[in-house]
Amino acid sequence: MHDDLDTREREPWYRSKTFKRFRRNPLAIVGAVMLLGFVVVALFAPAITAPQLAESRTARPCLRDLGVKRTEVVSALRNPLNKIFWKAVLTPPESCYSIPRASYSPLPKPPSEKHPLGLSGNSYDILYGLVWGTRTAFYVGFLVVGISLMIGIVMGGMAGFVGGWVDNFIMRVTDVMLSFPGLVFVMIVASIFGSGLTQVMLALAVIGWAGYARLFRGDILKTKAQDFVDAARALGASPLRIFWKHVFPNAIGTLVILASMDIGSVVLSAAGLSFLGLGAPVGYADWGQMTSFARGYILGTAQGSPFDFWYVWIYPSLMIVLFVLAWNLLGDAVRDALDPKS
Amino acid sequence: MTTFIVRRLLQLPIVLMAISLLIFGMMQFLSPTQRAAAFVKSEQQAQHLDLVIRQYNLDKGFFVQYGTWLKEVFKGNLGYSKTSHEPVLTTIRKRLPISAELALANFLPIMAFGIWMGTIAAIHRDRWIDQFVRVFAVVGWSLPTFVLGIWLLAVLYGHFKLFGIDRAPADILVAFARGDLKAYTGFITLDGLLNGRPDVTLAGLKHLFMPVLTMTVVASAQIMRVLRSSMLDVLNSDYVRTARAKGLPERVVNLKHARRNAIIPVVTLGGLMFAGLLNGIFFAEVIFNFAGLGQWSVASAVQLDFPAVIGMALLTGVIVSIANLVVDILYGIVDPRISFQ
Repeated sequence: MHDDLDTREREPWYRSKTFKRFRRNPLAIVGAVMLLGFVVVALFAPAITAPQLAESRTARPCLRDLGVKRTEVVSALRNPLNKIFWKAVLTPPESCYSIPRASYSPLPKPPSEKHPLGLSGNSYDILYGLVWGTRTAFYVGFLVVGISLMIGIVMGGMAGFVGGWVDNFIMRVTDVMLSFPGLVFVMIVASIFGSGLTQVMLALAVIGWAGYARLFRGDILKTKAQDFVDAARALGASPLRIFWKHVFPNAIGTLVILASMDIGSVVLSAAGLSFLGLGAPVGYADWGQMTSFARGYILGTAQGSPFDFWYVWIYPSLMIVLFVLAWNLLGDAVRDALDPKS
Repeated sequence: MTTFIVRRLLQLPIVLMAISLLIFGMMQFLSPTQRAAAFVKSEQQAQHLDLVIRQYNLDKGFFVQYGTWLKEVFKGNLGYSKTSHEPVLTTIRKRLPISAELALANFLPIMAFGIWMGTIAAIHRDRWIDQFVRVFAVVGWSLPTFVLGIWLLAVLYGHFKLFGIDRAPADILVAFARGDLKAYTGFITLDGLLNGRPDVTLAGLKHLFMPVLTMTVVASAQIMRVLRSSMLDVLNSDYVRTARAKGLPERVVNLKHARRNAIIPVVTLGGLMFAGLLNGIFFAEVIFNFAGLGQWSVASAVQLDFPAVIGMALLTGVIVSIANLVVDILYGIVDPRISFQ
């Protein structure tokens, strides 16, 4: 009976005022469209880069792991009816994330028909790196935010629900975490466990939870003060039942939405660390690592203008900026929609 | 106010203790032999690693080890850096002024530009200047320091041959190294004046321009956003209307009544921004080739030179804790309504 009432009165999310406010924001639409573009590129990465895979010798491990012959790469990866197409889209082997090299020449080469965006230093195909780098970006973003969100929910939940000295202790820990520069923490991790994308992602996840814990704790305290929680307590519900049935579902929504908007800045941090040489190794499809090629050419090209090799650094850095911009536009719109006052 | 400052000062050692425990805990993932290598300076010592392990209690329990380590840290023994081939503390002493100069040079432009643009945007709400500031803020917020740094480096330095990298031209740095110019403070801009060489100061300022421009664009975006929205709140409040009704000039209302109150959230943000500023300085040093702490510690991290990174982390912990204390005190000065009881 009670459940019936509940479902009848609840309006679907897409009719809510919050969503309407979001939809009417032109910047939100721009962000969403840009992001959609990135999703499409990431999903169809194997199909887009099929010619490069067929071309290069160094792409052989990827083809072997996919179980496809060199001659039929393009037809297999661009045909949605083929089993290999779906394998490449859904579970591409790790070896496909290393950028194939056209040769071993250290000099970059300008865009050509075979390599539409050119070759960067040591002849890494730039288009391939950008397209598969989109996958890396989403992967890093979702994983890091997911892990820190989970830690944040557990810690924030404990702080908000248990209260007392537990609350105090956890909040002091978050104070320290929030004020300590993340880069230094990542450097500690890298100097002890070695550098690599996995280490960077773990370190970013371990740093990131503090903000979420605080936000979640605040939401829990706000929800706990509402009348329906008092009503549940008056009816004799146990503290755990109150938490799981009444407080948790009402407090979690905003947190998850706001946290998912952090994916852009997480990808930015990861790219920065790869740029410094602490993240993805050279040759891995990662925008930050690809941008780091640039510095050498700019500082080292005494014999020519850095614009000779513009394609080496313009494209990867532009991808980072656009990706982060898309998330930030979306995030701004979401925050505005959730908080009508601003 | 005094009791508050004293209480916060008493908290400082506890926070530092927590940070050092965290850092030391991370080091436990290394084997005693690896940790002993931190104190090794020469080949001969490397052959007697077991002696080093015994000397620093590296095979004992966690708290005995922590105690020994902390004692060494207080004595100034942070270990030996393989990257700079000298004790960690020596390198930190040498490089600290370089990073500090960069940080101080960044601070004022970031704050001034952010607050100025935020105020203008809020006063001229929805006019073209406001739209411009909003777009600028979102774009600046999305631009990573290293991307903007690379772009500026390519265009201004690479193409137009302007400003220059490193913190001064090579001949000035050589003059400092040879002792022709005396390094009183370690700040190029100040030392130039103290040596009676304004041209050195000018060169130092010229070389600071690109990193400062990069970080100002990136870091002031956040201040603009926060100040704009809090200023809009304040401009709609009753006391601002009252001030206008009294017939006060617009300028006085905006700057004296509105902005003073709108700036409070910016100060709150200041503590968090400080961590971001340090991050940015690391990137700026690497990109613009400043031989500061950031460049050294990044190189150390890549080369698994953990004593250097740990030393750097401890230093960062101290700096960040003090900065937070300053922000808390500033909070009371900016907002007299807050009473510290």
